[in-house]
Amino acid sequence: MLARVANNLFWMGRYIERSEHIARYLNVNYFSSLDAPNQKSQNRQFVLRSMMFMVGNPVNDEDQVLNEADILYKIGLDPNYSFSILNNVKYARENANSARDLISTELYEAINKFYHFVINYPAEVYVKNGLHDFTNNITEMTAVLRGKIRGTLLHDATYATILMGVNIERATQITRMINAKYNDALMAQGSYGDKFSKSFEWTTLLKCAESYDMMRRYYKKAPTSISTLEFLILNPNCPRSVMNALNQVNEHVKVLNPEKRYNKDSTAFLIGRVRSEYEFKYIEEIENDIKSFIENILNSLDKISNKVDAEFFNY
Amino acid sequence: MQSFLIIKQHKTSTFAMMPNKYEITYTAENHYDHWVYDAYWQFLIIPMENQSQFGVEIEFYNSLYANIEYSTNGYGFKTIRIHPKKKFDNISFKANFEFFKKEENPFNFPLDLDIFKGYQMLEKLDFKISFERFLKATQFTQLEKAHETMFIFDPKTSIFDNLQALNHWTFKFIQFKTGVTDVDTLLTEIVLKKQGVCQDFTHLFCALARKNGVPTRYVSGYLNQGSGFFGDSQMHAWAEAYIPEIGWKGFDPTNNILANINHIKVCHGKDYNDCAPLKGVVYSQGKNQTSHTVTVQSQQ
Amino acid sequence: MANIESQIFASYLRNPDLYDELYNREGKISEVYQKLFNLYGEHSISDYINLNSKAKSSFFNQGITFQVYDDKTVQEKIFPFDLFPRIIDANEWEIIEQGSIQRSKALNLFLWDIYHDKKILKDKIVPLDLITSSANYLDQMNGIDPPGGIYNHISGTDIIKHKDGQYYVLEDNIRCPSGVSYVICNRTALKKALFGVFNHYKTHAVTNYAENLLDLLETVKPNGVDVPNCVVITPGMYNSAFYEHSYLAKTMGVELVEGRDLFVENDFVYMKTIKGPEKVDVIYRRIDDQFIDPLEFKPDSSLGVPGLFAAYKKGNVTLANAPGTGVADDKAVYTYMPQIIKYYLNEEPILNNVHTYHCSRPDELKYVLENIQELVIKPVDEAGGYGISIGNRLTTDEIAEVRKVIKDNPRKYVAQPIMSLSVHPTYIDETESFEQRHVDLRTFTVLGKDKEFVLKGGLTRVALKRGNLIVNSSQGGGSKDTWVLKK
Repeated sequence: MLARVANNLFWMGRYIERSEHIARYLNVNYFSSLDAPNQKSQNRQFVLRSMMFMVGNPVNDEDQVLNEADILYKIGLDPNYSFSILNNVKYARENANSARDLISTELYEAINKFYHFVINYPAEVYVKNGLHDFTNNITEMTAVLRGKIRGTLLHDATYATILMGVNIERATQITRMINAKYNDALMAQGSYGDKFSKSFEWTTLLKCAESYDMMRRYYKKAPTSISTLEFLILNPNCPRSVMNALNQVNEHVKVLNPEKRYNKDSTAFLIGRVRSEYEFKYIEEIENDIKSFIENILNSLDKISNKVDAEFFNY
Repeated sequence: MQSFLIIKQHKTSTFAMMPNKYEITYTAENHYDHWVYDAYWQFLIIPMENQSQFGVEIEFYNSLYANIEYSTNGYGFKTIRIHPKKKFDNISFKANFEFFKKEENPFNFPLDLDIFKGYQMLEKLDFKISFERFLKATQFTQLEKAHETMFIFDPKTSIFDNLQALNHWTFKFIQFKTGVTDVDTLLTEIVLKKQGVCQDFTHLFCALARKNGVPTRYVSGYLNQGSGFFGDSQMHAWAEAYIPEIGWKGFDPTNNILANINHIKVCHGKDYNDCAPLKGVVYSQGKNQTSHTVTVQSQQ
Repeated sequence: MANIESQIFASYLRNPDLYDELYNREGKISEVYQKLFNLYGEHSISDYINLNSKAKSSFFNQGITFQVYDDKTVQEKIFPFDLFPRIIDANEWEIIEQGSIQRSKALNLFLWDIYHDKKILKDKIVPLDLITSSANYLDQMNGIDPPGGIYNHISGTDIIKHKDGQYYVLEDNIRCPSGVSYVICNRTALKKALFGVFNHYKTHAVTNYAENLLDLLETVKPNGVDVPNCVVITPGMYNSAFYEHSYLAKTMGVELVEGRDLFVENDFVYMKTIKGPEKVDVIYRRIDDQFIDPLEFKPDSSLGVPGLFAAYKKGNVTLANAPGTGVADDKAVYTYMPQIIKYYLNEEPILNNVHTYHCSRPDELKYVLENIQELVIKPVDEAGGYGISIGNRLTTDEIAEVRKVIKDNPRKYVAQPIMSLSVHPTYIDETESFEQRHVDLRTFTVLGKDKEFVLKGGLTRVALKRGNLIVNSSQGGGSKDTWVLKK
């Protein structure tokens, strides 16, 4: 596989995954805030700020009043905002385009339909009453794409490259969501005696990661800070956890570089090292200092992505 | 870019028939404002091997120690190619050529040739087909209609004599002056300015000789400037014309002489485009410093 | 069956001056179309509206699109596809196929000759000027022997059916002819929309193009290579034919590369893969000559590969088509095709040539200037239907203007009598009905070492604007599935 094309496939995977997470974050936060148990979590400004925080563009000015339609448009359909879902989908398709000879007709067609759906979605409908329809379609279409990736591509280097992108992005987005909701939980505590550890925001977080049902089944209790973080970070069986994503990246990198000798400069070595670090982590270690944990994991994911780039895509 | 050109001529013997030993040194330096991530250079600077030039030995150095590749260009002349594999913002090149050059008598052909027969040959279709490449006007040898008849051959004298007259005429027509024209200047402009450098002299000579039906080619090479010849560019340029029953003869209109032992040929082509000594493809942003300085030395 | 006809072709207006392929000489539905005509009659116009829009969105969703450049914007467009297929019976096809092969072979011998001994010039069959004044003649190709002796591996021959019922060649495209992917897409789309009609005809499949192309590329591998590594090189995803480039790479199972994916080292070509450099042996290039190597040709081209030509000259890599084939693609060379065929093959041309007037010849120039109304004026070196003037469509002022343009540069123009392209029933969106539209046919011929292949189908292009004769996609043309019937 050409190095340039591999790079495109990797980023195609990342952009598809990214659009899904942003879309679900908008959806879940907006709709769960409508009947949230406390005033803070119900507050529209609070929700809009959380959205901006998650896409990496936090609004720091406390006095600034955010306009709902503006924010929703910006994150959803603004062609001039590079973090918008629209642009993510556009980039995903552009990357798919230049790797078109390598991916299946079925996958390409699904990406293309996805793109046409997004760019043809009427902005006025979306900001008025289309938020649910739009974001829901995005998450469903990305699920279709995941299915097509899995089911219509040979499970070879092409597939491994796409899934490396998907999983590195998933781990990144899950961590970003944890970061945003951790931030929200800190701000929401206090009102009506709502404790940080039992914050309503943990439920929202799990829903954002489509993991609420799985988590309830596993713990059979209402989520707390510690159980939520443990589940979303360390549980290897939760398909949305950071650990699960790292395990997958670890599998896929071996397809690209099956070399078994000790080579501490390889991507495989770095991934293995990061993976092992979290495999044997106590959740208490994380809970003590969530902030540095989040910084560390984002940092590690970044390093992995750069290493992948240098080892496989650099030409 | 800075480049220096040094020619040394070793006097090896007092016998006229013995070849002279030459040594040419070519250096160039490039500076870029930003990192260059990918670049290719192709040098067309190696003295060619022919009857009068032989035993060419090449040494080439570049400051990045990038792999040095020897290849040939589309016309079969030897090139040197460099493709650095790491980023850089500074690169210098140095080439050293050693070879022998033999004196050739430019008048080593029978003088009693039938003048009329020569012109008849030029008119033959087979001749025109064989020399098609050096008879057509190109980007740099295109004259305006009105100027095509600036120099018309006298059919009463030989082709060789006419070419010598054209050589002299070109030398008189253009005043040697640097800085007036550059590598992109077309003949239409040079004819009006009447100033230029060796390239421009050569292009005009080629254009007019071709208009008179004589196959003529642009020659790129080095000039050993022992005694005040003009040749103040990175490399020198002159022309070769094909005279039926005699063959290719070199004319240096910049200096109003026939090509001789001081003319070291690298390659020939239709015009400058076929002979550019250095072609580069550099993928970089921003500017690079390009100032040409050439020094030509000869030791006796 | 009368009511059937009234249903779908009720409003079909037949202009008796045009040659309509649906009808025979007696004015009845021609035999090959009879069954199709009946089958289509079973549908109502609203079925067509529905099928037509479905077919359109299917092309769109599959991303079978090309880009059109306006002044500022880039638009993504589908190549309009018509649901009414064109049928060519086995006997007629035989002529087209043999004629296409004959032309490809003759052009190949012509190219070999003009880059070697130039006998055809010395024998005064074609004038020397044709080569000296052609921008597409590459001096660098002189004396180079392309692997297998093949220059024009892939040719696209544009053929029309004239009023007289005869096929005429309009152009031989041997630089980078495109359109073959649409042949296959059109078939797929028609099968999806109206699968029933295929049960009634024995039609040749068109999906075997890629395997034949790959076989061909393998026959012209460089010396000393056992199993060649073939690639397709594209200018990139913004090129209007990018879909086709990716389609061909995908169906041949080879890499689709851009110039930046390749590099040359010691006169061998390599591609940059995730596992390091990998040698490339055969390149099906969809980049024009001038852009393939910035060290040898256009120096500011970023589409090509520095050093590629040197590798080619050394015989270490094959380029298909060979550099310099464009000289025979010149419309001025076209006019000598009958002589060229005779000279090299000692055969009579199987397909007709349209008579051509050379504006470079004073007597012919005079005729052209005096008869512009009855002629089509074409620049000799433009592709894609640009710069064409059709005499009987011009106003007096425009004629004067064309006259001036020709006089200023007579070598640049040729003129031909206005050929009357046959018409074919075509579904028209605006009127929601079938109307007569002009069509042509592009055949795709593949020429290898001891191998030749013509895709049994070809691309029928249709001029969608009423009365328009220019069928190129860039000029608002569409296309039809083309059925070649088995014997």
